[in-house]
Formats: sequence, C-alpha cells, structure tokens
Amino acid sequence: MKRYTLLIYLLAVAGLGMLRAQENSDVLFEKANAAYNVGNYDSAMILYEKILATDMESVPLYFNMGNTYYKMREYPMAIYYFEKALKLDPSNDDVQTNLAIANRAIVDKIEPVPQSFLVKGWHNARAMLSGDQWAWCSIACFALLLFAAFLFLRSRKVAVRKLGFFAGILFLLAFGLSVVFAVQLKQSSLTQDQAIIMAPTVTVKSSPNDASVDLFVLHEGTKVDILEANEGWNKIRIANGSVGWLSDDSMLPF
Amino acid sequence: MLCPLWLWAQDAPTLSVSTKKQVMVGERFQVVFEANAEGKNFQAPSFEGFTVVGGPFTSTSSSFQMVNGSMSHSVKCTYTFALQAYQEGTFHIGSASLTVKGNKISSSPFDIKVLPDDGSHAAPSGGGSTSGQGQSQQNTSDPKVSGQDLFIRVIPSKKSVYVGEQVVLTYKIYTKVPVSSLSVERMPSYAGFWTKDISDNSGSLRQNSEYINGIEYTTAEIQKIVAVPQRSGTFTIEPMIIECIAQIRTERNNSRSMDPFEAFFNDPFFNRNITNVKKELTSQTLNLEVKSLPENGRPASFMGAVGDYNFKSDIDKTELSTNEAFTLTLTVSGTGNVELLQMPEPVFPPDFEVYDPKITMNVSNNANGLSGTKKAEYLVIPRRAGSFTVPAIEFSYFNPSNASYRTLQSQPYEIKVEKGKGGDDGGGIYASNQEGIKYLGSDVRHIMTGNAHLKPVHSVFFGSAAYFVALVVLLLLFVILLFVMKNREQQKLDTAANRNRKADKVARGRLKSAAQFLKAKDQEKFYVEMSQALWGYIADKLGIERSKLSMDTVNETMKAKNVPDELTQQFVDTLNSCEFARFAPGSAEAKMDDLYQRGIDVISKAEKVL
Repeated sequence: MKRYTLLIYLLAVAGLGMLRAQENSDVLFEKANAAYNVGNYDSAMILYEKILATDMESVPLYFNMGNTYYKMREYPMAIYYFEKALKLDPSNDDVQTNLAIANRAIVDKIEPVPQSFLVKGWHNARAMLSGDQWAWCSIACFALLLFAAFLFLRSRKVAVRKLGFFAGILFLLAFGLSVVFAVQLKQSSLTQDQAIIMAPTVTVKSSPNDASVDLFVLHEGTKVDILEANEGWNKIRIANGSVGWLSDDSMLPF
Repeated sequence: MLCPLWLWAQDAPTLSVSTKKQVMVGERFQVVFEANAEGKNFQAPSFEGFTVVGGPFTSTSSSFQMVNGSMSHSVKCTYTFALQAYQEGTFHIGSASLTVKGNKISSSPFDIKVLPDDGSHAAPSGGGSTSGQGQSQQNTSDPKVSGQDLFIRVIPSKKSVYVGEQVVLTYKIYTKVPVSSLSVERMPSYAGFWTKDISDNSGSLRQNSEYINGIEYTTAEIQKIVAVPQRSGTFTIEPMIIECIAQIRTERNNSRSMDPFEAFFNDPFFNRNITNVKKELTSQTLNLEVKSLPENGRPASFMGAVGDYNFKSDIDKTELSTNEAFTLTLTVSGTGNVELLQMPEPVFPPDFEVYDPKITMNVSNNANGLSGTKKAEYLVIPRRAGSFTVPAIEFSYFNPSNASYRTLQSQPYEIKVEKGKGGDDGGGIYASNQEGIKYLGSDVRHIMTGNAHLKPVHSVFFGSAAYFVALVVLLLLFVILLFVMKNREQQKLDTAANRNRKADKVARGRLKSAAQFLKAKDQEKFYVEMSQALWGYIADKLGIERSKLSMDTVNETMKAKNVPDELTQQFVDTLNSCEFARFAPGSAEAKMDDLYQRGIDVISKAEKVL
C-alpha cells in the first residue's frame, strides 16, 4: 500500500510539472504574440524560441515564428517555419497563404515540373487533413465500418442488410485510405526529407565532392527535396526536377 | 615715312622663340615664336613628346614710331602654341621656319625639360607665378602682365556644406589693367553637384573696386553658380579657365634709343600704343567638404529638403456633392533648392479620384542663392458620398544653419460629400455604381493567437498506443455488442418465437398424456391436461402472456390476427366445454372422448392457420 502511495505521489508531481510547463509555454506564447503585435519582432522571436526549446511544437507556434521572421525580413527562415507548420497541417489556409507570400520574396523562381492528374489528386486529397486528423478519420471510419458490419450481421430486413454490406465496403476503403495517408504523413513528419537553402548562394554539384562539376546555382530560401544523404552531402532535387548534390551546411532540413 | 625700306634693311628679319625651359608633366604652357617681320608659310617644328592643346594662334601687331622725327615701322608676328607635357624627360624641339620676302628664316632649336609632376599645380595652367594667397595662377610667357595684375578667383559662400545645402560660387576677375574681352574657355564639370547659373546676365559686367593687400583692383563677377551637392564626401571643383585680352600699353620694342624725347613720349600718359595681350586665366582649385545629413532626429516625412521653408495647405471647399471637384493646394516657400524640392504628398481616401498635381514654381536668385515658392495643386473628385478625412500633411526639412530637422504640419481636412444628383449615370445607376474591391496592399496574414495547442515534438497520433487502444476498444465494443445481441435474441427465441414454434409439440404432448388419462378414466386429470393443452397452445401460438390469458384476450387476439371467425368460435367453444366439464364433473365417458377429438381437431386446424 505504501509503495502505491509513493507511486501515486510521484505521478502526481510529474503530471503537475508537465502541466506547469504547458502553462508556462502558453504564457510565453501570449507574451510573444503581444510583442509581435506592437512590432517588437526581436523579443517576440526570443520568446518563441524559448517555447521551442521545451521540445514543444504546434502549427500556431511555427506559423507565428514564420510571420516574425518575415517581418524581420529573414525570408529563408520564414519559409522554413511556414513549411514546418505546413508539414504538421498541410490543409491550413493561413500557412499556405503566408508561405506563398514569403516565397515571392526570394531570388529563385522555379517552374515546378507538371504533375500527373493522379499524383496531384492524391497529394491534394492527402493535404486535406493533417496527419493526426487522418488518424482520427481512420478511427471514425473503423467505427462506421463496425456499425455497417453490425447492420449487415444483425438486421432482419434485407434492405438494411444490403445497405450495411455496401456501406461496410465503403468504410473499409475509407479506413484503408486514411490509414495510408496517416502513414505517409507520419513518415514525412518523422524524416527530414526536405530542406530550405540558408546560404545566400550555393552551387549545386554533380557528385558529393567539391571538385565535381558545378551544375546550377541556388539562392537562399529555395526548398529542396532530400533524396539521400551521404557523409555531409545530400542528393537534392528542386521543384523543376533537377537533381544534384549539396553539402549539409548550406541548408536547413525539416 | 621717308624710307621705310631702308628701315627694313636695317632690321634683319629674325624668328625668335620664347618658352619655359622646364615644365611639369601635365602642365600646360605656351611656346611663342615671334618674328619681327611679316612672312608667310610658317612651318612649326614637330613638338615631339608634347600634346598640342591649341594653336598656332597667329597675331600680328604693328607699330609706328617716331625716331628723330622720322617714322619707323615695326611689325611683330607671333605664332603661339599651347602645349601640354605628358611624359618625363628632355625633349628636343626643332626650329620653326618662316619665309619672309623669299628668304627663309629659322628659329634656333631648343630643349625642354619635363619634370615629374610634384602635384604643386592642380590645374593645367601655364603659370609658375602665383599671387600672394596662391589663389591665382597665370601665364608668365608674357612678362608684361603679371599674376598680380590680372587673375581670377572663385569665392565659395561656404567651404563646408550639407548634402542638399546650396553653396554659391562666385567667379571674380581682379585686374589692374584694362581688359577688353573675356571668354570662358572651360567650365568646371561640378561632378556631384546640381548647379544653376545665377549670373546677372544683364549685359555688361558690373565693376567694383576692391583692395587686396593695399592694392586696388578693379573687380567684376564673371559668373555666379549655385551648386547643390547631391552626395556627401570631399569634392574638388576644377578651376575655371577663361581667356581674356588685356590691353597693355606697350613699351617700345627695341629701346635702344635713350633719347629724352622718346622717354617723354614713352610716358604712359602719352603712349597710345596699346597691345592686346591674350591671357589665359585659371581660377584656383576648390575643395568643398560635403557633410551627409545627420541620421538621428530625421523625421519619417523627410524627403531631402534642405534650407529654410514655410509650408501651408489650402482647400477651396470642404462640403460638396459627389462628382464635384475640389482643389487642395500645398505651398512650400523659402530659401533652398526649390527646383529640386520634392513636394509632400497628401493621402486621400481611396474612393477619391485624384489627378496628378499641377506643380508651379516661382524661383528667384539673389546673392544668397535660390529661394522661391513651389505649389502643388491637387484636383480631387470624390466619387462616393460620406464623411472623409484628408489627414494632416507633413513636410520636413533640414535647416543647415542650426543643423536640425524641422517638421511642419498642415491641418487635417474634414470633407463632407453629399450624394449628388448623379444624372450622368442615367438608367444604369445600380449597375454602374458597382465596382470591384480595391486592394490597397498585401501582407502576410496575422499570427494565430489564442491557444498554442502545443504538443511534444514528433508526437504522432497515428501508430501511437492511444491510436491502437482506440481501435481495440472499438473492436471490443463491437464484439460485446454482437454477443449481447445474440444473447438477447436467444432469449427472445426462447420466449415468443420458440413458443410459437413449439406450441404444437407441447400441445400434442399434453394431448398424449390426456389420452392416457382418458384410458385410465381419470376424469379430473384428463380435464386439467386437456385445458392446459388448449390454453397453452393458444397462449404460445398467439404470444399472449399467461397472466393475461382469458377467454376475451384469446378472442380479441385471434380476431386481430385475422383468424377465421369459424375457427375462433370452434376454439372458444372447445375451451368453454373443457372448462365447463372440468368444474362440473360426473359427465359421461363419451363426452370426454368427444372433447378429446374436438381438441385434436381444433389444434390441427389452428396449426394450419396460425
């Protein structure tokens, strides 16, 4: 009994501590927002960084950091945080708008390679919800699937059983789709498969060493996909499909 | 006049050369070939190592002189070259030749030593002699006019100015000798300055007299320039070079004779021999320091105006109806570079139609530089009714005299616009009144406030324990639900449907035991069994609970289930007889038999219908 009391006590202390930290972060967030509102962007950034240092993240936090960097005219960092916010919630309209505005302030303008209708549709569909939302969606689909199965199994009326059967198939498909989306988004949020160029000007190389041929030049703020990493070098691809190698220090992966 | 030819014979024609023997690289100097007779076919030597900047300028002068009562005539022809040295060394210059009356005469060749540029002469001028303050340099090739006699100076109104502050540069000529004509050879380029010539161009130069070191000079302003620096730094203004012709009373060329008469006539008072001497005058190089405007205290509305200004605004009406125009006039007046002055721009409400302002300027020059008035007239037409505010307009300027910024502000205007008659819109008022939304600017969307919704980094709900728990809980719920439903079904089956299904079987069972009692002639037990068989059957078949079982409910339920009245009647009769016989014993055996048959019959019939 005594042991349990101790355990409960410890758990209570830990829980209270976490709650305290959470509360503290919320206060910091409000303070940072207040600083941003009066145009005090440097202090706002310091406060946001403090929240980030507690290993917490959220769409509003990244979004506000992106805005602050935009106001400080540090467009690559602004793009970096908008992209991070978008990774958490690909459907967020505010983030998409501000990212588009920040992207207008950078040097490189790359014509994206046209995607096929299917790929585009797939990406658009996936971007409708965030990863967590897809997970919830899959749970809801699962619940509806079970309900449909129940109708099918237990109803005595033929029409209801038919309905249950087809609804069941539909919900099974929906469940599978949302699971696939959730898996993909989880994958992308846990791996750093994209990066923003942070060096003012970088030359993309043909192979992972400095002596190789210069392929093309990128400027700060441009987003690249990381295809593979190799001893401080990254194989990158830009939106128009060009592929080359860049060293680690010229970009910030996310 | 007696025998000029004889005089010619006396003076053998010569060609002499006069120049400096030593010059600096980059220096401009003159080489003058002088012949004492008129000739033709002058051939200049090649000035190797030098650039010929100008020339040959030919001038001829002749003079008549009285020598012992007889006239003598002397002629002087000069061929002047302006040269510039461009490299160091000693250069040999050959002889020039001239043909005089068929005889070719030549000058003697000479050497010129070119020394490296020691920076002592900032301007390409011919002079080594400078005035007392080093402000003037001039030719010494003609020894008769010295630098002290004739020079030009540039006088800046100040040596250190702010960007945008005007400085007046006055070019003045100082002379002790008469000057017949002036022409500007080269103007400075004034790189980095906006300039305006404010010289008094009324015709003749106004003459003054000035004392320098106790010597009286006649002065005249050649040119007056307002220069406004456009950027900060130290600027060197190149000298101005002008060419003038000084009129010099010449002494006799060959003053061999020491005759007292001659001395008398050589008195300047009598001497009418005036020689025009062409002189090139160079002003001093001027260094101006241009300070940039101070950063601190600079108002946001500052647009580069430097000087001392007044600012006011005027509006002709503040109450008007739509599509009626009003005029807003901004006036800036004062001292400063009014021409380049950028007028402040008023901010009108977006629904106002504003035409480009009409800018009028009235600039006057005086000794202190430029001053004047600049007006901007805005013609504005409000297109929508309402109450609008034209905010106060700010005009800021930098006053160099106390090195500070000053901001002047006009008052804001409240403009009341009433709905006009709008007759011009005609029938399509509603359609034409519509317009698209005007976007006035773009910016990032505002930050997200409220709850931060923070969660630990990389916490993904999908695949977490909570996710699987949710799925498993759902599945368990489903299974439990199914199980419960199945149980309840079973129960139901056990009750109603089962009863229905088994009603016949149970009844027949009962009837069978009734038949045994019939055989055994156990009257009482037979009737009990018979009654239970009939009641039980009908209760099970119709789903009536035993507690509610009565003749009436049986009747009603059978009617409700559309059992034929005949059968119902038969069943009820059978039941009645059974009950009657049960509670009134002592009846015949045949009656029992009959009841048994009727029971079997009615149950079989009912089984077919129900």
